[in-house]
Amino acid sequence: MDLRVPSGWFFTLLGVILLGMGLFAPGTRAELTEANVNLYGGAVMLVFGIVLLLLARRATQKG
Amino acid sequence: MKLAPVDYFILALYFVFVLGIGWRLRKTVSTSGDFLLSGRSVPVWITSLAFIAANLGAQELIGMSASGAKYGIMTAHFYWLGAIPAILFMGLFMMPFYYGSKARSVPEYLKLRYDEKTRAFNAFTFAVMTIFSSGISMYALGLLLRLVLGWDFSTSVWCTAAIVLAYTFLGGLTSAIYNEVLQFLLIVAGFSPLAILSVVKAGGWSGMAARFHQMILPSGMGGDVMVHAWGYMGKASENPMGVELFGMVAGLGFVLSFGYWCTNFLVVQRAMAAKDMSAARRTPLIGAFPKMFIPFIVIVPGVAAVVLSRMGIGYNLPLKNGGFDYDQVITTLMAKFYPAGMLGVGLTGLMASFMSGMAGNVTAFNTVWTYDIYQSYIRKDAPDNHYLTVGRVTTIVGVVLSIGAAYLAQSYNNIMDLLQLVFGFVNAPLFATFLLGMFWKRSTGHGAFTGLVSGTIAATLTWGLTVAEGKGGIFGVVHTFPSTMAQNFWIAIMAFSTCLLFTIIVGLMTQPKKETELEGLVYGLTKIPHDPHAKWYEQPVTLAVLVAIVLIILNIWFA
Repeated sequence: MDLRVPSGWFFTLLGVILLGMGLFAPGTRAELTEANVNLYGGAVMLVFGIVLLLLARRATQKG
Repeated sequence: MKLAPVDYFILALYFVFVLGIGWRLRKTVSTSGDFLLSGRSVPVWITSLAFIAANLGAQELIGMSASGAKYGIMTAHFYWLGAIPAILFMGLFMMPFYYGSKARSVPEYLKLRYDEKTRAFNAFTFAVMTIFSSGISMYALGLLLRLVLGWDFSTSVWCTAAIVLAYTFLGGLTSAIYNEVLQFLLIVAGFSPLAILSVVKAGGWSGMAARFHQMILPSGMGGDVMVHAWGYMGKASENPMGVELFGMVAGLGFVLSFGYWCTNFLVVQRAMAAKDMSAARRTPLIGAFPKMFIPFIVIVPGVAAVVLSRMGIGYNLPLKNGGFDYDQVITTLMAKFYPAGMLGVGLTGLMASFMSGMAGNVTAFNTVWTYDIYQSYIRKDAPDNHYLTVGRVTTIVGVVLSIGAAYLAQSYNNIMDLLQLVFGFVNAPLFATFLLGMFWKRSTGHGAFTGLVSGTIAATLTWGLTVAEGKGGIFGVVHTFPSTMAQNFWIAIMAFSTCLLFTIIVGLMTQPKKETELEGLVYGLTKIPHDPHAKWYEQPVTLAVLVAIVLIILNIWFA
């Protein structure tokens, strides 16, 4: 098993959930910060997840 | 702290993934070696992250952020002075003997290098210790979840333990290691936003330093001590840890850290699971890179919390019985900085750290019990299948025993303190035994055993004859330490020196093993492998030099 595949999917899903929260429920804020934490956090996780999946795919294509 | 449905969903998603990884890996297990040693086939980036993650338990996360709030950036000494140099030494100089000896565990190395009694001493103390440390960390988590979320202690303990049991039972060490990597990534994802948000809110590092400069801490010290790792090391009375330079460098930097990172099977096991010698040596060295930056996500938020609590913006340090409850710093910060969604990720990160720590203990316990105790003293010549079954059963027993230890910790807090103290006594001299074993072919089994026992006695005496913060001194008072931390460091120094001395003296008086028996075990009789296929950046020396350069920069930056 290539660990990058399940890790990649996990972070992609996390990213989608948080990004979705950040976009469609932008009012969800924490007490001490004005930043849309879910939006930025989700975006970073989504990118990280996709990168892992791409790396795994490249590795299988190389054989 | 209140969780939203989305937070529970994220937690559930994480559980599905760890169990799924265990389920997918169940087919890789067909021998006891697959189950207990991963069949020595795990890719190096995975062993490297697992090497770090197995040590990054919940106690470490909670404890390091607590120390950050209590002692400031000095806490980073546990990493920048302690762990990293020890990890470099392990990868460069010790791994060739561990991996090359073909030993399946650290106690087994002792058996090959020294003799049966030295192995037995190490195997039994290690087995008992892993169970208790896994239980204590389970207790810490259960307590925190009850305080913060109002979850029932028993429910959180049993549920998390059941999940760890399920995936280690299915896929053995491979499953534990693979999950540790996912857990590590999740810890970083869940904690680093908190570090960024809290430091930004507190005015950035320079803003924090400026505020500390005008602050008087509850201890009466000036706030400057919180942002300097080295600046106040000269005198014990001038820094919040109450430790002087020599005690810090020799006690923490040398004896305790080298003792932990170079001889504790929990971490060594991860490197031994690598696919070949070169990968085994690179495991700690590559792991050192992320390890160096962990202070930024665990210690720095704790330091920031102190500033935030003085800004009058609605954040207060958590209180307990009139004092500060530093253990809750990290969760109270999360409650203030994370909205629903991210809060789920942060909390899942905390759970993940707990699981990786516990799985680390359980898998190490498994291997030592099955190979070093069961196969050595209970049933010697059974078919391999038998040991696979024993390994699986031991997984269940190990988890159940740690749950028992968690309840014991809940009812008798003092017993746990005492046990940890005793383990400290047993552990402190170990590094001397390994150092002499690997680099001095004249050292003998009798020497090693005498050294270990006398080192443990020296540790007990040092504790019994000194007082710190009203603790110790049961045999009389010869010296008073400014803090229990200083006392611990000096106990380690005394234990190490005594063990070193006695191992040498008795070694010179007893018959050493023949040189042919020591091949692959001792420096000078072992071919240190040179991997001609490794590219320049894969060479252990290159990696170590890179780590050392970054390490020096970090130490100077935060001096």
